[in-house]
Amino acid sequence: MTPVPVGPPVAVVGTPGDRRVTLFAAALRRHGLPEPHVVAWRDVLAWSEALAGREVLGGHEAVAGRDVLARSDAPDGWDVPPAPRFPEGAIVRVESPGEDAAADALLRGPGDPSRVGGGATWHARFVRALESVRDAVARTPGARLAGDVGEIAVMFDKRLCHARLAAAGVPVPPALPGPVRGYTALRAAMREAGWARVFVKPAHGSSASGVVALQAHGPRIKATTSVELESAGRLHNSLRVRSYEHETDVAAIVDALAPDGLHVERWFPKASVGGRVFDLRVVVTGGRPTHAVVRTSHAPMTNLHLGGRRGDLAMVRATLGESGWARAMDVCAAAAACFPRSPAVGVDLMLEAGRWDPAVAEVNAFGDLLPGLTGLPGGGAEGLDTYEAQVELLLGSARTAGRR
Amino acid sequence: MTIHAHLDTFHGLPVRWVGLDPATSSAAPDTVAWRVQAADYDEEEPTLQQNFEELLDRVDPTRIRAIVIGWWGPGWEGKRGDIPVGMLAGAADRLPALEAIFLGDILAEESEISWIEQDDITPLLDTYPRLRRLEVRGGTGLRLGPVTHSALEVLRFETGGLPASVVRAVGESSFPALRHLELWLGSENYSGDSRPTDWTGILDGSGLPALRHLGLQDSEIQDEVCAAVAAAPVVARLESLDLSMGVLTDTGAEALLSGQPLTHLTSLDLSHNYLSEPMAERLRAALPGVELDLSDRQRARGNDWRYVAVSE
Repeated sequence: MTPVPVGPPVAVVGTPGDRRVTLFAAALRRHGLPEPHVVAWRDVLAWSEALAGREVLGGHEAVAGRDVLARSDAPDGWDVPPAPRFPEGAIVRVESPGEDAAADALLRGPGDPSRVGGGATWHARFVRALESVRDAVARTPGARLAGDVGEIAVMFDKRLCHARLAAAGVPVPPALPGPVRGYTALRAAMREAGWARVFVKPAHGSSASGVVALQAHGPRIKATTSVELESAGRLHNSLRVRSYEHETDVAAIVDALAPDGLHVERWFPKASVGGRVFDLRVVVTGGRPTHAVVRTSHAPMTNLHLGGRRGDLAMVRATLGESGWARAMDVCAAAAACFPRSPAVGVDLMLEAGRWDPAVAEVNAFGDLLPGLTGLPGGGAEGLDTYEAQVELLLGSARTAGRR
Repeated sequence: MTIHAHLDTFHGLPVRWVGLDPATSSAAPDTVAWRVQAADYDEEEPTLQQNFEELLDRVDPTRIRAIVIGWWGPGWEGKRGDIPVGMLAGAADRLPALEAIFLGDILAEESEISWIEQDDITPLLDTYPRLRRLEVRGGTGLRLGPVTHSALEVLRFETGGLPASVVRAVGESSFPALRHLELWLGSENYSGDSRPTDWTGILDGSGLPALRHLGLQDSEIQDEVCAAVAAAPVVARLESLDLSMGVLTDTGAEALLSGQPLTHLTSLDLSHNYLSEPMAERLRAALPGVELDLSDRQRARGNDWRYVAVSE
């Protein structure tokens, strides 16, 4: 008789009701495990921002006050939301704070969620909130994090992420040394590097938000991006990739993005299948590439919400051949190995036009939202979706921990 | 439309990349189209010329029939089409069997079509009198002088803008064997500045006695192309006519319907068009035996903008 796996309680920091949370809960259910304890990001953020505000106002004394707050929630006269609490002995999974306007407002400040910008503030507050989650878990007897908040913070800074990958010998497109403080500086750095085609990425963006594929030489310029430049100079994310060919427009966009930090890579020419360029999203779970999808597009960005489509993985594998595919998966595993305490990461892998040499575009901390996709043959997660594969990993590590 | 895939086949032959696939060196030199290119990305990789010399060293060059030229380096660093043209022209005596050249198998991910820097291609026709097929991608900087070439059967220009001077040179040339002529006229913004008077030589057809297929496509003034074609002497000798990819409206289609008969054609390609459904019906009714392609119907976008299929 197979013993019924009885795991520890599981908690998720996420957006209640969001697909990421419900799909993970479904995976737990399929393993016969109870519903996870969900802690809303907006509550964590309200807490961590309130604390930060106290620290700013109260100076050094407030640092000591942090422990007081943690023990007794809100002392008299302190209008502070309750601290995040986790069940004793819980394994705590940290999910994306996305899909929640209230969380976004706490991260970037109030405003239209579709606006571009505020990434630096977003990242600072996100890191602060991650640390408060880590501290809350540390205060909870027997509880532990499934991942690592420091690694998540690095993955949400494309400059740090790129540097970490490059240092580990993972193939990545070369990047401008930075910091790139604006359009004029960008063009000067491009001339210096001898690059006429680059990808300009907001350091803290996700889902291609604010990414600009730029080609420029002398007076000729073209920027391809989903950013919509309003007449007032404000930037919005749109669902349509568009082109700008006037330098004043391109400069306005780059100058608006630059204060939040830019990561600029040389444009890596992507290979195509079926007449569309593509990249691969490969989820690496517990160090092994377990899930992969091909994302194809007519535009330089392949994100599905920008008109990208799933492509034919079998065709990509066939073109790569046995050894080429193995090499590509090795590169993904090597990229993930730069984040060894993260149970699963999503690696965006590009293959070079013609040569099909791999290079990593990005590593995503929350890159596992691929509903219904089951594991690669031989990848160790056959028949499992990305969440089920992580539940297996979680239970495995829990059992290992239990035996020690 | 954006070109996203390198050629798989060319001149009826599978394309093999020199220096990439070790197995290709065992292919018989006349059974594949050999593709050479400069490293796009890795500066340590060989140049176009080194890649080309490797080809000539590894296989018997006297048996090579088809060559595909890929990326030759960034135009913005002064790497222009004179590099591959000079390279091929200089090797003509070593390539006596060469009958097909594709100049510029370059994708949008490498360089968008109007950013490909071409140059004078006349030396290719001068030094390869037995060439049967010449295909060129990219119109920026492209030049051609009037020539007489008795072997050429296929001449194609894929551009986002074909300079008027090149269009005129084709019309002033003598191509007694040419069966297939295809010009993507493109957008004025990208040096596609030809006008009806520039097309006269081609449409008159005196230098193109063997022509069976004519493509005058991807034009911002496709309606004017249609009006000119409707009265063109060359049309009588065609089997297929391609007026696709441009800004074709009912005005252009009306000109076709009121011009010379087109019922002798096997096929007429009007895909990527801005035609109304009633006009599409009239075309179908008027050309019952013609394979008529009216697919990829476009709609004018905001501010009445209409686009050709390939430009930038």
